[in-house]
Amino acid sequence: MATIQMLRPALRSKEGGERVGLAALIVVAVAVLAVGAKWVTGFAAVAMMLAALLGIVSVVLVALLGGPEAKRALAPYGLLKPGSIWMALFYLAPVWTLLKSSLSSKASRFAVQTDFTWEFSNYATAFSDFGPQFARAFLYAGAATVLTLLIGFPIAYVIAFRGGAYRNVLLGLVVIPFFTSYLIRTIAWTSILADSGPVVSVLDTLRLTSLLESVGLMEDGRLMNTATAVIGGLTYNFLPFMILPIYVALEKIDVRLVDAAQDLYSSPTRAFRMVVLPLSLSGVFAGTLLTFIPAAGDFVNAQFLGNPNTTMIGNSIQDQFLRQNNYPVASAMSFVLMAIITLLVVIYSRFFGTEDLV
Amino acid sequence: MSISTRRGRIGRILLNAYAVVGFAYLFLPIAVIVLFSFNKPKGKFNIVWQEFTLDNWKQPFSDEGLTSALWTSLKIAGLSTAIATVLGSMIAIGLARYRFKGSGAYEFLLVLPLTTPEIVLGSSLATLFLGQSIVEFGFTTIVIAHVMFQISFVALTVRARIRGFDWTLEQAAQDLGASPMRTFWSVTFPLILPGILAASLLAFALSIDDFIITFFNSGSTITFPLQVFGASRVQLPPQINVLASTILMVTVTIMVIGSLRGARAARRDARP
Amino acid sequence: MKSRQVRRRPGMSRREFLVRSGALGAAGLSLPALLAACGGSDDGGSSGGGNQLLFENWPLYIDPTEDGLTGSVDRFMAASGVELTYSEAYNDNLEYFAKIQPLLGTGKTIEPDIIAPTQWMAGRLLNLGWLDELPLDKVPNAANLEDAFKNPPSDPTGKYSLPWQSGTAGIAYNIEATGRELKSVADLFDPEFAGRVAMLTEMRDTVGLVLLGEGIDPSKISTFDEAAVAFEKLAKAKADGHIRAFTGNDYTDDLGLGNFAVCVGWSGDVLQVQADNPNVRFVVPEEGGTLWWDTMVMPKGAKNRDAAAKWMNFVYDPVEAAKIAAYVQYISPVKGVREELAKIDPELADNPLLFPDDATKARLIPFAALSEDVEAEFEAAFSDIVGA
Repeated sequence: MATIQMLRPALRSKEGGERVGLAALIVVAVAVLAVGAKWVTGFAAVAMMLAALLGIVSVVLVALLGGPEAKRALAPYGLLKPGSIWMALFYLAPVWTLLKSSLSSKASRFAVQTDFTWEFSNYATAFSDFGPQFARAFLYAGAATVLTLLIGFPIAYVIAFRGGAYRNVLLGLVVIPFFTSYLIRTIAWTSILADSGPVVSVLDTLRLTSLLESVGLMEDGRLMNTATAVIGGLTYNFLPFMILPIYVALEKIDVRLVDAAQDLYSSPTRAFRMVVLPLSLSGVFAGTLLTFIPAAGDFVNAQFLGNPNTTMIGNSIQDQFLRQNNYPVASAMSFVLMAIITLLVVIYSRFFGTEDLV
Repeated sequence: MSISTRRGRIGRILLNAYAVVGFAYLFLPIAVIVLFSFNKPKGKFNIVWQEFTLDNWKQPFSDEGLTSALWTSLKIAGLSTAIATVLGSMIAIGLARYRFKGSGAYEFLLVLPLTTPEIVLGSSLATLFLGQSIVEFGFTTIVIAHVMFQISFVALTVRARIRGFDWTLEQAAQDLGASPMRTFWSVTFPLILPGILAASLLAFALSIDDFIITFFNSGSTITFPLQVFGASRVQLPPQINVLASTILMVTVTIMVIGSLRGARAARRDARP
Repeated sequence: MKSRQVRRRPGMSRREFLVRSGALGAAGLSLPALLAACGGSDDGGSSGGGNQLLFENWPLYIDPTEDGLTGSVDRFMAASGVELTYSEAYNDNLEYFAKIQPLLGTGKTIEPDIIAPTQWMAGRLLNLGWLDELPLDKVPNAANLEDAFKNPPSDPTGKYSLPWQSGTAGIAYNIEATGRELKSVADLFDPEFAGRVAMLTEMRDTVGLVLLGEGIDPSKISTFDEAAVAFEKLAKAKADGHIRAFTGNDYTDDLGLGNFAVCVGWSGDVLQVQADNPNVRFVVPEEGGTLWWDTMVMPKGAKNRDAAAKWMNFVYDPVEAAKIAAYVQYISPVKGVREELAKIDPELADNPLLFPDDATKARLIPFAALSEDVEAEFEAAFSDIVGA
């Protein structure tokens, strides 16, 4: 009864609804995160779940009994809540458990549980033993990102400005390769780049092999099991991730702007450089991030297309999990990878100016 | 004047040619996959072209492990897409329609999974699941993992699509006497439905295709990509290509039908 | 748990046939069903269990029903009345271990009654206490086990594992690509073949072979230092780009084409490829080759012990074992298979890869069973070489 008395003002006003909504959202999310990440166990966990329940109940009360202003202010929080619970439980909590695991150690090699022991040596190992793999991961991902930009930008441009009625069809064509399995696409490249396959045969006929070998792109007259193949695979697999954001950015550009620019500059190239390019940058920014970040953590391309000297950090993390059964070091490596990527992204966005991703 | 037009024209032709080459590049492996579904490999691996045969297509489901794995993948994708579409669309509508405190921070949170490498997403979820005993590794954990990254994709895609939506339409409907619920279902929802469908199609593709995150969280459940990977050290039967080509054809068909209907609707709307 | 009949697939060559029943990936795994199936019933080894059996084995490791012949699984089911579900879910020792670890490591049980780890993995599972004793009192045919496999280091009492098939790792090469016959482990490191050498991701086979080449007996090692010289040699070869790739079974295509001139390979793979490509040869090096075998073990809590016993007894009958060996073409651990095989496929019965002569047999050495810590050192060093 007293609760409802307390809530009565909230039920009327807009600010009240907003406050209740925001508070409930935060309480529920934190409670779920706390229980999922095991910050609290036993009675404390039950208490947290009760607090979350209280949050939900108060939202429901406002929704049922509140005035229209309050309900309206409440709506977004209500819409956001289920998704937030999922994200808190299955994204934030796992990241926390990963962090914890990275500072843990295992009692014996094949134990399932890890013990939290502030084991900073895991990070030392991650840095010292896997330097080359980290370096190669960023190098190959960077190369692949540049290549996807060079290949993808013109494609996005053509779809946006020349696509006309066929825009959606063309976009569909870009997305369709996605519907075959990532692995199968990569394996297809082993056929295409095979020693007896079409690409190598063409290069041989054109006598380009020795030239490419001197540059380091080919090894011993072959393309398979080289760094080139790995970068090629990465480029191919992440190309749609570059094309789509750039297209979204380009599509928003008013064509009349381009026409006006052409009138002003009387050269399509300059019009492009002065008008289209700057306006497309938000798409380029998004595309480069959506390409570089997953590529840096990839292990499939290196495994199928590379050789023992072209492995990336993803291969090492997978190996630490599977072969070495060393979850703590693997977690530390994952965290270092995330940290370096975050650092690069921050520097990168400073360079670009802050843009939103979509 | 004529010089710049000619340069412009050459530039335009070059650009179009470049784009065509780009599309060819996109579809080269797809063509290879379809082509090799007609291959009759000598050994256990379908990498080198031997001879043409229709046998594989006559028995596409002969590899039981592959077929059941594909079926599992489809079920997982269907379930996770459904959940993620609902949750993600709700988030998108909340973000796009309302301005409220904390929306900026929330958007940042939404983008976070997209900026985390898959291997980190997969391994962190695995450590979470290892530390509890409510769910076993398997179908459930895979669905949970897939929904997790699908929500971000769906929410951001739908939000981008409904950014231009005219929310005053809702006001108009309510002025005419419709309740908020009715307004939503009769006015808002049909108009934003294309965006939601596009997002869910993308999410479905991501789920079917997902390998790395599933790899860490699958237990003994086998999805299509996992089956291909697991067996790939021992064999690569042509049935893989057959099934992959089939999925491709089905999706292309759905897309074609979708765009045809969209074109027909657009034409119908344009009629006076 | 449901079990499904193995379906036949007519009209395909025996090499391409896959016997599968996808009980694991099968329909509608709801959460309760999943928990019930995998969850912690401690139905120990005391009761004999039901009339069903789930056996998870490697792919292409049993004769299928095709070409007018009935496969072993079907023959067994007809003869014994046991509902056998034969699944080929065992693709890789380490991956499979990662799958069962969360369950067996926390005291729960896994679905299969019999699984097929390679002998060193069986040793690891035994040391972790994750195996039940085999019901050998109900398997009289276990006496047919070849002496070489009795009481191995990985299972000193011999009560926890029964070999399924055995094989050797040696040098597989393409005589057209090498231009000559190869005889020694040193040939793997011949500079002439730089960039055209492949080795196996199976640590014990690759490292074992290199050890033999250095004159060290891999069955007698117990510390990492004893094997360090082999790791150094491999590390150098890798850094020089001498080794093109580390493979599973997928070296055979490239070997046949000559892209790999010489590989560390398995006898059975070469045997299967030789029919189509006589250029591919296999040799147990003069310094020696590694001997390995895949085993049948029962994980802790496996329920259907009687049915499992019937299966093991069935496959240890020389007549049945011969039929399996005729298809799989690896070395059978059952005595008397050669004589039975001569009745079905005389050519195969004389094949030295399947039935090595005594001189070769003496050169086949299994890798020592390593302690947990030493194995960790080996694995870490090998990961460095593979590049991970």
